[in-house]
Amino acid sequence: MPACSACLPSAGLTFPRTARSRMKQVMDRPAELDANSPSEELAALLGAVSKGDREAFANLYRRTSAKLYGICLRLLRSEPEAQDVLQEVYVLVWRKAERFDSGRASAITWLATLARNKAIDRLRGRPAGGEGIEAAADVEDDRPSAFDVVGQAEDAARLGRCIDELDERARAMIRAAFLDGASYPELAERENVPLGTMKSWIRRGLLRLRGCLER
Amino acid sequence: MSDDRDMSDETRDLAGEYALGVLTDAELWRAQEMARTDPRFREEVARWSGRLAPLLEEVAAAAPPGSAWQKIERRIATEPAGTNVIQLRRRVNQWRGIAAAMSALAACLAIFIAVRPAPPSPVPVGIERPSAPPLLAMLGNDQQGTKVVASWDPAAQRLVLAVTGAMPPDPSHAHELWVIPPGGKPRSLGTMGSSRQMHMELADTLAQLLQQGATIAISVEPPGGSPTGAPTGPVVASGALTKA
Repeated sequence: MPACSACLPSAGLTFPRTARSRMKQVMDRPAELDANSPSEELAALLGAVSKGDREAFANLYRRTSAKLYGICLRLLRSEPEAQDVLQEVYVLVWRKAERFDSGRASAITWLATLARNKAIDRLRGRPAGGEGIEAAADVEDDRPSAFDVVGQAEDAARLGRCIDELDERARAMIRAAFLDGASYPELAERENVPLGTMKSWIRRGLLRLRGCLER
Repeated sequence: MSDDRDMSDETRDLAGEYALGVLTDAELWRAQEMARTDPRFREEVARWSGRLAPLLEEVAAAAPPGSAWQKIERRIATEPAGTNVIQLRRRVNQWRGIAAAMSALAACLAIFIAVRPAPPSPVPVGIERPSAPPLLAMLGNDQQGTKVVASWDPAAQRLVLAVTGAMPPDPSHAHELWVIPPGGKPRSLGTMGSSRQMHMELADTLAQLLQQGATIAISVEPPGGSPTGAPTGPVVASGALTKA
């Protein structure tokens, strides 16, 4: 484990229960208790960052950068590239923290998804800063972007169970795609099957996964 | 969830595949385009991202080097405090000012160059941070009369583009911007929007390619950009970066 993992709040880096169940917790419990939970702290830090609080930003970086860097490194398998994307991600967080909505996803889920999406963009050959060309021209424009994530009633344990229910092949492919950034052509080549076969494996896997998660 | 029912299975598959990150080429552009234009598609992608996000929990953390934070701090150092929305507007206004200056400059240069080919005079680019000297490229196309002035500010890692002349909007194609280091291969800087002024901030790996003598070029590509990572269509304008 990297030396810095000790300085990270472990609970903040697990993907907490969904926004909805968290909202229920907030209603069920005294507010102070919840405000002290790492996930609420991260959300509060993001709130402060959206108001331009540099200290909060540094604190947020201290607490989340090892996780986000780990994600970038896993996908990009290159330290310089991972550092580059990490930099892009935090500059974006600084500028667009107001786009975080604690009603939709937890802070760490939002940040981790942003890091993953930016790393995938980089893998697929679009420069991570490429969005800026439009962003500057049309700030008001609601662009698709790497920021969108909504946590539903599925938590990590539930996803784990549903992933386990998939057949081994679909499970391996979905994990390779999501965690290692493998594309359809790469997966087809790796498994030595036609592209169409790989697509139907993945689509069936995703369909089953969704069915299981919505049960 | 009623929205879900209106969505075809194929579209829903595409949203899942887009969130999973397996798409390439034409399918990827299609998903990107749909995410931009169809809020329901975008929401389905967001839901899929949420469904898959817990997988990231098992990724091992790794401490980034201290230099990573220093670079981030440097990048945001000049951005004033205040809400980011206001910050962004301010940045855009600043940029519009620069872009307007660049447009005027582009027009002047176009005339100037037509009359007497000579190196351009210093230009008002370093409005925000005059510390590092900017580089300029004039991207010309004689047939269409398209002129693009590209100005590179190394300190801010910011590329400002001002377009004059005809660059007809064409929804079936995209204009993609490239940097070609001397003796090197073209690297994409992203696709260009329809506006006449643009700016983009570049990550380190791209920024280091924008040296004096590097060529900036614009090619015509399928919507979403080149499928191969290299220019595939005709180059409509190009020019070399020189000291301003």
